[in-house]
Amino acid sequence: MRYGMVIDLKTCIGCNACTMACKAEHATPAGIFYAKVLEKEVGKFPAARRIFLPVLCNHCENPICREVCPTGATYKRQDGIVLVDYDKCIGCRACMEACPYWARTYYDGDGAYYPGERTLFEEIKQNFPEGVVMKCNFCAHRVDQRVEPACVQTCPTDCRIFGDLDDPTSEVSRLVAERKGRQLLAEKGLNPSVYYIE
Amino acid sequence: MEQDMVTPGLRNSGDDTWIHSACDMCFAACGIIAHKQDGVLVKIDGDPNCPASEGNLCANGQAGLIGLYDPSRVKTPLKRTNPKKGLGVDPQWQEITWAEALDILTEKLTKVRREDPRKLVITSFDQIALSYFIRPAWGVAFGTPNTDWVGYYCGNYLHASMYLTNGSFHSDFDLDYCNYAILLGNQQGFMAGLNANVAARKMAEARKRGMRVVVVDPVGTNAAAKADEWVPIRPGTDGAFILSLIHVLVNEIGCYDREFLSFRSNGAYLVGEDGHYLRETASSKPLVWNRRTGKAVPFDQEGIDPALEGVFEVQGHKCQPAFQLLKKQVRAYDPEKVAEITTIPAGTIRRIAKEFGEAARIGSTIVLDGKTLPYRPVAVNIYRGAGAHKHGTHTALAVQTLNMVVGAFYVPGGHRGVNLVGPNGRWSPGATKEGLITPPSEIGRAARYYDFEARPPEDMGLHELFPLTTNRSPLYQLNASQESPFKLPYTPEVLIVCRRNLMMNNVSAQSGAEMLMKIPFVVTFSVHLDEVAEFADLVLPEAHYLERFDLFPNRPSHTMSPATGHFYWGLRQPVIEPLGQARRWIDVLYEVADRMGFLGDVYRLMNVNLGIKGPYKLNPSERYSMEEIYDRWTKSLFGPERGISWFKENGYHKVPRAVEERYPGPFLRARFPIYYENMLEARKSVEKLSEQIHLKWDTSDYVPLANWKPCPAFSDGTKEYDLYVVNYKLPFHSLSITTQNPWLNEMAESHPYAYRIMINAETAKRKEILDGQEICVESVAGKVKGRAKVTQCIHPEVLGIAGVFGSWAKGKPVANGKGVHFNNLLPISVERLDPVSAGVDSCIRVRVTKA
Repeated sequence: MRYGMVIDLKTCIGCNACTMACKAEHATPAGIFYAKVLEKEVGKFPAARRIFLPVLCNHCENPICREVCPTGATYKRQDGIVLVDYDKCIGCRACMEACPYWARTYYDGDGAYYPGERTLFEEIKQNFPEGVVMKCNFCAHRVDQRVEPACVQTCPTDCRIFGDLDDPTSEVSRLVAERKGRQLLAEKGLNPSVYYIE
Repeated sequence: MEQDMVTPGLRNSGDDTWIHSACDMCFAACGIIAHKQDGVLVKIDGDPNCPASEGNLCANGQAGLIGLYDPSRVKTPLKRTNPKKGLGVDPQWQEITWAEALDILTEKLTKVRREDPRKLVITSFDQIALSYFIRPAWGVAFGTPNTDWVGYYCGNYLHASMYLTNGSFHSDFDLDYCNYAILLGNQQGFMAGLNANVAARKMAEARKRGMRVVVVDPVGTNAAAKADEWVPIRPGTDGAFILSLIHVLVNEIGCYDREFLSFRSNGAYLVGEDGHYLRETASSKPLVWNRRTGKAVPFDQEGIDPALEGVFEVQGHKCQPAFQLLKKQVRAYDPEKVAEITTIPAGTIRRIAKEFGEAARIGSTIVLDGKTLPYRPVAVNIYRGAGAHKHGTHTALAVQTLNMVVGAFYVPGGHRGVNLVGPNGRWSPGATKEGLITPPSEIGRAARYYDFEARPPEDMGLHELFPLTTNRSPLYQLNASQESPFKLPYTPEVLIVCRRNLMMNNVSAQSGAEMLMKIPFVVTFSVHLDEVAEFADLVLPEAHYLERFDLFPNRPSHTMSPATGHFYWGLRQPVIEPLGQARRWIDVLYEVADRMGFLGDVYRLMNVNLGIKGPYKLNPSERYSMEEIYDRWTKSLFGPERGISWFKENGYHKVPRAVEERYPGPFLRARFPIYYENMLEARKSVEKLSEQIHLKWDTSDYVPLANWKPCPAFSDGTKEYDLYVVNYKLPFHSLSITTQNPWLNEMAESHPYAYRIMINAETAKRKEILDGQEICVESVAGKVKGRAKVTQCIHPEVLGIAGVFGSWAKGKPVANGKGVHFNNLLPISVERLDPVSAGVDSCIRVRVTKA
């Protein structure tokens, strides 16, 4: 069992529904995004266009973040999901240095969205201990209830597909095989579980 | 997603609840389910049961919940104590009770109603059912015709052209079968426009199966980013481009749908030299030339072969088929000439025309549900970018003409208006005696197309002066802001603003301010102390959309895309109790009506407007809560088992669309016009009226064939104002309503374009402007500042400013000062309105300097 995600760059329209669904699902503090859509321009006018690249934690099969973690706070579950145990995290940020995908953010304890007042929503959901490193958890709490990650569920173009990369009959495996799924910075040898197809 | 994983269902138990409701972060009103734990809203998802969202939800919808808990919301009624009004002037608010607020409101309204009820003006852009049924009932019972002032971001030109050519309100195209789509100044399918979520999914599926998308836009938008081809165009010249495509198709390569033009359109109707149809004397039916017998016969005679081309003599008059006149008309738009107008190379125009014509597969058919239908898998779709110019109605007419020329009209793969035919015959279009389509009464009762009345206008929207349009909002502003040139017999005394940012979704702040200061008493129902509140005498705390109870926020007749596969009726229900003392504006107005003694009249009108029948009829001497009214309404429409409690529990009453309801074209008798004889009648009526009221009025756009004329910005280029500026849409903000949302603000802050001013790299180099540099953009009307985004993704003659940003109200601390307020660059004047639709021209010439 190894959970993974395939993102179809042909159909991603850069709308950032994923970014906001993730923000709402995890109540991440201001300045912290587990899911983002990067964009840049290619070509020269008039043959120019913007391209979009949704990014999140790659949940690498060989997570370098886990390797460098001095306390064992970062760990990988049997199903391949890489998590941070906030009780063990000491905020040393070695993982942030090591992660080539910049998927992690240090939380300094600020982050309410309205100046001077935490909302009821933040009171209930934004309960991260100060001084830890945070990142995408593939919505492990949803996946455990057999509910797909928030970004996958909301995507208006269905460009995100979630499933078991170890199962050759799963849709993610089929897409990776048939449409030549590529990993970001594959040469680093971390074997990310997030694949991109075009 | 793996098959065995599921999306969240409705798990209602104790303190963990999922509630069916509807989004209101934009006009689409997608179905949502709101997840509440311990009384707190913790997540919103798309409602899998809603045909418009099917479990998906855009960024705006996802972010909606944080706005619910915004501490800067207005929580109590507020009274102005500073009599001085102006931009930046502190109103010096004093908190008052609802009882006091209602006393003030009742007193003001009683006085106005006694003097002249027309002095009351109501403005709102609130969703469909309130706008179409409930607010008008209140307005008519009060006695004012001035209740339909909405935003200038609406598709004036589009709606006018759609009623005329389609008998429908809104434009759409069939993503299920389309193979070649031209998006003209719009991003339909890229998280914009009609039913944005379902359209985005269907667009993605269509692109996966190989549909080609051509985006014609000065700005390299999200849609342009994903298009097979981005064709940058000079702003305001889209009509010339489309007419050139028609020219290439009909005059150069002879590609057009003879069958459609002959039998589904008025292309064969014989037109005399005076522009009018030749008619059979007895029946007054338009005549066509029957090639089989060499005689002129009524258009609807069976077994004829109508001529589309040629010159004939009938009843002693020289005449030609309407299509022949169209062919002649478009000769003025040959690609070489149009290349100079649009900056699109002639070769590109010819190629796109050829591709479009070939992809239309004229003559082909498809079998759906056992019915053989014409198959025309191409469409050109228009929205604001192309249409919001002076003469924009003609650009939109040209677009519809192009769709008709290839027969891609209400058939699989092609263009379609929305909901021309209702579920199980609930509504259907009519036909004039000329056999031409008229809107079903559900859709088109606000505009007149074939009979006109030259009567001096009494309403601020000047119905009689703009007979072919439904949205006359800018005229409210003109009438309110100066000594009215239109000779209304009264001046507005009280303005009620119902949850609408009249200052931001408007033209320049200065003209908005001048207008508001002319109105003696302004009441605003608002969630924030926004830019309108600054000019208000009374601010009333409006309920947030997640606290509101609105039936049918998205009505099937007007804004529901057939792409949803259904007709459906839903509701927005409160997820939590209103914060502070917030109330919904319509409920307050009903209470005032009761105090003033005309609520019974409102009920009588609602019985008619809402179609409440039999035992469910409202009794004018009883009093009902809005929930009771909703209950009667739903039961009257759908039967006793479909009361409001059923809707609360289940969310949607859905009726799947039969093939005749998805593709009504071939099943209708009424025809779609490429030639608008009624424009000549409209012109006469408007000329007569302008004479009566001693007004010099330009009626030159009332002509029977689509044309292109330059908008002011096209002609205004001088050395000083050397660039155009245009406004474009982002997929994660909607009008001004989302700007105070801190999540969406944060995203815009980190976005490369959202809060910046786009300038082409070559242009920037010439002007020595660097990326990120603070620049100043100035038009004749106003000035804005912002940081430059030096980019390859915009036309070199154009600056691009996104969204409705640049808020300045202190009561919106998140939005305040963020981004650039495009509308501040726009003036308002009769000269800058589209003379047919009354839409405000939304592009203008500017100069740019380093700040």
